[in-house]
Amino acid sequence: MLASERKSLVIDLDAAAATVRDGMTIAIGGFINSSHPMALVRQIIRRGVKNLTVVGAASGGLDLDLLIAAGCVKKLVTTYMGGEHYCPVAPFFRVAAQRGELDIFECDEGMFYCALRAAAQRLPSTPWKAGIGTSFPQINPEIKVYNDPVSGEPMLAIPAIKPAIALIYAAQSDAYGNVQHVSTGFGDRAMWRAADKTIAQVERIVPNEEIRKNPLATSLVGVDAVVRAPYGSHPFAGPGYYIEDSDHIREYVAAGNAYAKSGDRKPFEQYLKKYILDPPTYEDYLEVVGIKRLLQLHEY
Amino acid sequence: MTPEPNFTVKELMASFISHQVRDGERVAVGAGLHVPRAGILLAHLLRCPNVRLYVVMTFTSLLKEPRMEPFYTVYDNRPTKWAEGYVLHDDFQEDPRLVSDTFVVGALQIDKFGNSNLIGVGKDYKHLQFRGPGAVGTLSMAHYVDRYYLFVQSHDKRIFVDKCDFISTVGWGEGGADGRSKLGIPGNGPVYCVTPLCVFDFDETSKRMRLKSLHPGVTVEQVIENTGFEVIVPANVPTTAAPTDDELETLRGRIDVEGMLRR
Repeated sequence: MLASERKSLVIDLDAAAATVRDGMTIAIGGFINSSHPMALVRQIIRRGVKNLTVVGAASGGLDLDLLIAAGCVKKLVTTYMGGEHYCPVAPFFRVAAQRGELDIFECDEGMFYCALRAAAQRLPSTPWKAGIGTSFPQINPEIKVYNDPVSGEPMLAIPAIKPAIALIYAAQSDAYGNVQHVSTGFGDRAMWRAADKTIAQVERIVPNEEIRKNPLATSLVGVDAVVRAPYGSHPFAGPGYYIEDSDHIREYVAAGNAYAKSGDRKPFEQYLKKYILDPPTYEDYLEVVGIKRLLQLHEY
Repeated sequence: MTPEPNFTVKELMASFISHQVRDGERVAVGAGLHVPRAGILLAHLLRCPNVRLYVVMTFTSLLKEPRMEPFYTVYDNRPTKWAEGYVLHDDFQEDPRLVSDTFVVGALQIDKFGNSNLIGVGKDYKHLQFRGPGAVGTLSMAHYVDRYYLFVQSHDKRIFVDKCDFISTVGWGEGGADGRSKLGIPGNGPVYCVTPLCVFDFDETSKRMRLKSLHPGVTVEQVIENTGFEVIVPANVPTTAAPTDDELETLRGRIDVEGMLRR
């Protein structure tokens, strides 16, 4: 008997979201207002998952703020929480941090990638020099100062952070988990290398022949599961497909600011109901956003 | 009466920053700050044809591009149409100097030795009065680059403080010309701090902030009143050089087409 069938790794959105359970450490790819697996993020919120340690992108953004707002996050690992010109500091993050309700692994991009690299290399920590003389070792007690045994100079040991699951957004994959980004893929490869398992949420699932046309473009060589969700980074950008939805991001920021400035959570509750809790399926979410809006988000 | 200048203070700051870029360098165009972004591009288009620009994680040269559009965010995929090559974000640690020779750092607070804070304001980290956005890549970039510049969009005593509540990026540490080397930190540290009122440099011996130039119409008293530490004021403080007609034409016609620096 010869083997002949290769197993498809394609699963549906809810099956993918169901792998994320209370208390897990998960990574979420992308960068500020681009390339977040938002179909999965919204489904995790719908499922009411709690107490997550979320390794956000370096830099993260409003995708993580939404998870905080929805009550899913216990601890956050990221270097930046804002929306660039849409909002200087993410609103729910700001309030939760100021109240001491959120554990934060305070780090910068260099330290962030050290933590993921250590996990990928199965090391307890990796060294980093930038940060000596700063407040980071005081405000993040997981980061230790030590003297390098070779040179004697002070160094920082950045502890490994190992996500159980990395959720990555990319342009396309075949059914066998050969994932190709459009553009650079930001820091997604580092999450994929560090995580026990990776789920790629993609715009298109393409034939294996399509992948073989340009194997150098395969950015994640084998993930564990693939989920198809066209427009799946909305309201953030999907490189090669659409730019971010400025009006939608402003709607979210306005709801967040109402809470941050006057404690009024109603606008956010309305946002949550309209876009996340009420639409029974992913396709219904896209219908609530509207085809006219989606088609206006072209890159050209 | 002196006539109203024909430029905005943002255009003036962009012009000043443009003169800090050296031809042939690698220069990262970072997140969020429109003025430094415009300044770096201005340098490239007018004086530095051999700069390698790091834009949206790609390297490029933009000399032949008539207009830098769209170009306001660090994540927008559209500028990658110009890419000549990638240095992936997670490969940054392989050689931080591959990304940039110089950098611009923004801040919530800056102290007299140029140490800066993007973490938050307040004495208790667990209960901050104002939580900031976080350090982004500023700390590692500022550590490894040849030199960097501090830039703020407003100038008051909340920003310029005697002591930062938290330090996310080291300037001259506790001060002194060896303020960095005794911590084992490479590079030449912060060179200038650019504000809407003035430019500061650092005294060679103490590495304390010193008034280098005043923007047109600004007085020494205004700077002193709005700075929360004692500023070194030399006997003669020149006026910051105005942007030239060439600079304004290139800024408005090719870089800041949408007029973000004119608002």
